[in-house]
Amino acid sequence: MTIDSLAFLGDSIFGHSIGVDSLLARLETVGIERAVVAPFKPRGYHLQAANDVVAEAVRSNPGRIAGLVRVDPLLGDDAIREAERGLGDMGLRGIFLHPWEETFPIDDPRVDSVVEVAGDRRVPVVIASGYPWLSEGLQVGQLAGRFPDVAFVATNGLQLNMSGLGQTDAELALSDNPNLSVQTTGVYRQDFIEHAVATFGAERVLFAGGSPQFDPALEARRVQWAAFSEEQKQLVLERNAARLFGLAPSHSSINLPEVT
Amino acid sequence: MIIDVHLHVDEVPGLGWKLDPSECLARMDEAGIERGVIMTIVDAPEVNPDALELIATACEESGGRLQAFARIHPWYGRQSVSLLEQAFARGFKGLKLHPVTTIAHPAGEDTLRLIRLAAEHHAPTLFHCGDEPLATPLAVARAAAACPDATIILGHMGGYSHVDEAIAVAERHENILLETSAMPYPDKIAEAVARVGADRILYASDGPACSPRIEVEKVRLAKLDPDAEELVFAGNALRMLEAVA
Repeated sequence: MTIDSLAFLGDSIFGHSIGVDSLLARLETVGIERAVVAPFKPRGYHLQAANDVVAEAVRSNPGRIAGLVRVDPLLGDDAIREAERGLGDMGLRGIFLHPWEETFPIDDPRVDSVVEVAGDRRVPVVIASGYPWLSEGLQVGQLAGRFPDVAFVATNGLQLNMSGLGQTDAELALSDNPNLSVQTTGVYRQDFIEHAVATFGAERVLFAGGSPQFDPALEARRVQWAAFSEEQKQLVLERNAARLFGLAPSHSSINLPEVT
Repeated sequence: MIIDVHLHVDEVPGLGWKLDPSECLARMDEAGIERGVIMTIVDAPEVNPDALELIATACEESGGRLQAFARIHPWYGRQSVSLLEQAFARGFKGLKLHPVTTIAHPAGEDTLRLIRLAAEHHAPTLFHCGDEPLATPLAVARAAAACPDATIILGHMGGYSHVDEAIAVAERHENILLETSAMPYPDKIAEAVARVGADRILYASDGPACSPRIEVEKVRLAKLDPDAEELVFAGNALRMLEAVA
């Protein structure tokens, strides 16, 4: 059993678009049965409506889809109310922040009140990471350091730099903050993923497919073909996501198909 | 056959990176890659005066499986030119430039001089081409425009966020080729083939730290037709490497 710890849903103002049925079909083709989803930033800019789409996907696919509530911390009390709404009656399992698309530095003090909601509810905060100026590795680390009791999950291995120039800061942020984990989406350096598991523990690395922009068939190979033990693979592919997002883990072995 | 046109051999203690030729060959075997092109991570003459020797020796000891690109820092004037001439005399097959690490603009005169010298040998220039200043597709396209007789390869075909820009500049400049390493979107390889032509797309891995096996899988996930896939995996690289004089 595999859990994709981050896919996107809805119609993005930036052009990507996918519904829940298409997403599940896309994941099934590579043997992924469950996913944690966050809403795209919608054309109308209103994250509430996008969060409603995610909540409906969760309701209509029990056990297969878990959702994140996306908020813009710059909106202050409105952001807090939306986080409370998502984590309350809507039944979502964490908060999603996208500093690049909502344009705020992740270590800005205005982010703190949103993180406090996650702390009160004991749910993780997932951060679109690696974006220059706004969510670089050490910036994400700064925020994680202010809230040692909150679990943070950083996308893209905390870096989006094809020269490898973000790698050291990513490792420093992980070293400084035991409450910080990373996802594998788009991490082109296999040795970074393997080093993160070896140095910081397999409990702190999560497989994420990044649909629809990224291809989960390719992204899964980054974990499947890494130099991990069977137990490490199970943690990265399923159990870490199950633990962090409060999902029931399966008891079956890994079932990702080989692609020829 | 698969040829990987972007592999690294070097030791960079400051970054904790040590990439041996044997690791390149092992990773190539794992991925079913027959031949590879290796280059250092740092440049000659600085910060490694022995960079060319390191690569030449690795190629000589590879049983013909590895060929060489010369990584030269453009700032060193006649010394840079002389080093590139020496490299071609030793059988190197191309020039590799990483403007982010050298802080040398792709269209700067120091850089253009090296690109033109490579072109005189019918050899390509492979640029690191990603999301950083000095290395975006639009910046490298300036060099392609200034040197229309040179073959310019956009390594990583624009990185994470400049892939559409890389395809667009390749449409505008016929001397630009796109190289697939590290860029994480299989569907963009298919789009590049459709818009630019399969004869201008090159498979590469940026290995061995970046997995050649995963990078091969990425091209296969693009679901190219067999003729196009053959060109991307080997045909284009063979044609390009055999032309070098």
